[in-house]
Amino acid sequence: MMEAGSIVIVRNLVKRFGDLTAVDGVSLRIEEGEVFGLIGPNGAGKTTILRIMATLLLPTSGYVNILGYDAVKEANKIRPFISYLAEDAGTYRNLSGREYLSIVARIYFDSNTEASRAVEEAIRISGLGERVDDKMKTYSKGMKRRLQIARALMTRPRLAILDEPTAGLDVFHAKHIRDVVSRHVKDGGTVVLSSHNMLEVEYLCTRVAFIHRGRVLFEGEPKAIKNKLGVSNLEEAFIEVASR
Amino acid sequence: MRKLFSLVEKEVKDLLRDPRIYIGLVVPVILMPLLGFLMSTSMGSSIEAGTKSVKIAVLDYDKTSLSKTLLDLSASLGMDVRRIDAADLEAAVSEARNLGSNALLVIRKGFENDLINFRRASVEVYFVMESMSLGSIGAYTAVEGVLGFSSTFFSNMLISKLNPNIPPDVVRDPFNISTRSILKDKIIEVPPQILFNQLLMGYSIMIPLLLLMLSITVVQFAATATAVENEEKTLETLLTFPVTRYDILLAKLLGSSILAVIGSILFTGGFILYFNNMLSMSGFNFPVEDVSHLLPSPPPESFILLAVSLILAILFVTSLGVAIGGLSSDVRMANSLLGVVIVPIMIPSFLMMYGDLGTLPLTLKLLVYALPTSYPIMIAKDMMMTPIPFETLLGIPYSAALTVLVLYATSMLLAPEKLLTVQYRLRLRSIRRRQIKELDD
Repeated sequence: MMEAGSIVIVRNLVKRFGDLTAVDGVSLRIEEGEVFGLIGPNGAGKTTILRIMATLLLPTSGYVNILGYDAVKEANKIRPFISYLAEDAGTYRNLSGREYLSIVARIYFDSNTEASRAVEEAIRISGLGERVDDKMKTYSKGMKRRLQIARALMTRPRLAILDEPTAGLDVFHAKHIRDVVSRHVKDGGTVVLSSHNMLEVEYLCTRVAFIHRGRVLFEGEPKAIKNKLGVSNLEEAFIEVASR
Repeated sequence: MRKLFSLVEKEVKDLLRDPRIYIGLVVPVILMPLLGFLMSTSMGSSIEAGTKSVKIAVLDYDKTSLSKTLLDLSASLGMDVRRIDAADLEAAVSEARNLGSNALLVIRKGFENDLINFRRASVEVYFVMESMSLGSIGAYTAVEGVLGFSSTFFSNMLISKLNPNIPPDVVRDPFNISTRSILKDKIIEVPPQILFNQLLMGYSIMIPLLLLMLSITVVQFAATATAVENEEKTLETLLTFPVTRYDILLAKLLGSSILAVIGSILFTGGFILYFNNMLSMSGFNFPVEDVSHLLPSPPPESFILLAVSLILAILFVTSLGVAIGGLSSDVRMANSLLGVVIVPIMIPSFLMMYGDLGTLPLTLKLLVYALPTSYPIMIAKDMMMTPIPFETLLGIPYSAALTVLVLYATSMLLAPEKLLTVQYRLRLRSIRRRQIKELDD
């Protein structure tokens, strides 16, 4: 059962790939209406944690509960309520943006009216305008990312799982995506994201967890973390914690 | 169903608009008739040139009225006959070559004497082989034709000389043979040769070839469609959608199969046009009686068996294609792995195209029976000629069981955890192998 207010509960999560331990005893709790950030260097285990939340990977041990459902035993019940944006999510080169959005909308919604509404919403979120009718192979990286964010949010997921949503984007596109994410949370959604960009995390996230070598080193609100550690930004805070 | 249709729409649109796919679909329709036209034009003109001006050099040692008749007859049949005088064969060959002759005819002394005494008369023919072109074959055929006609002419003359009241063709060919064929207890009013000519092409070559094409195309499309998902990093997103792995697999199977059927129809169309162009070539215009209406119709249940076996074969190879595509990081890797699947699929088809399954060695026979792709070919070959053998019927449940097993294994692979873990392991193995190679270097 879902504990009051908690959309995600992770307890003692361990994930091993052969000899490699990618996630080593992580425990987290994400509340409804939060933007929760996972911060850490490459290989810290952020993507693995997000993939487990997105029901793509199974934990080696530990417990993950999403929206009151067991992520291992009840993955099928979770999927209609979540959206996942992979770090390197690609597009179908030969489909137009509108066709892709329409196909995804029809998978999520049983009624054509709802599906059409979702597509129009996604076109608005993506800001692609008339280019939405062009084949996706003609899109720039920024356009593809905006379309994928729009795809992830158009279904109004209760939990959006975004892996490095602004990675590799210029400041304009990154700002656009941050605004879209903020608006989604204001509309009642919950977001868990990973990022290298500490400024972005500080700007967007209500709470963050520092991940290093598969473990959570520190967790809290950005402002509280900075005050507690006596540093001016999250980057310094992470280095301070990681070097202990 | 709404979710499945949406996924199938994605598969078909994405595949059909992919140049790697649609070029492959369209090329046979354009290229094969063109190839047929070019080949028939080149072969036709070569044969025409070869038969138009066939030159024969004749060394006539007999110099009698009958040897002259032979030469006149040859000339009247369009040969360019040149008499030569030479001391021996070597000199005659040299002279014939100098004249640009296609053949040298040597009529031995005693030609007329042997004929009028009802002994076989000797005529030696030496063909000058200057190229392996169809023109040379045409010249050879023309000379053979003239000699055959002359032989009949002389035999008629000799028979008439013996008894003018006897029709010479009765003496030469005393049997009035009327050959018929028995097919499934029904007597067909045509000789087996005509049936062989028409059925061999249709049932033994065209159908296996078509089914082979279908199998190869469908496995390629399925592998490409899935490998593209890996290459473009879309599979991971797809696996988080509220669809079952069976929906994803079924969409890939249906999408690939729809395109493979379109591809096979286009290929067959191209192939038929190629043959039409080839058969329209001058010299190949034989009046062929269409005997298909005389043949007994295959029993309706054989069509059901054919359809079931065909669906199972397509599902079997498509599942393999999806599995290969799923395990491949990109289309290039999928194409490399496809060879492992395509070669075993091709072997039974070729074995059945050119041979008789019953006469194959046990190992090859087992290979044929082991693959679900063999059964539609077996049924297609058997349905017209004989009742479908029991072992072929057994192949249907066997194919169904094997196909279900492969479908299940592929669907298991599409379980997110499994696919990502297997891909991770394969990547790790490839990195380790590369590192070992670098250390060795």
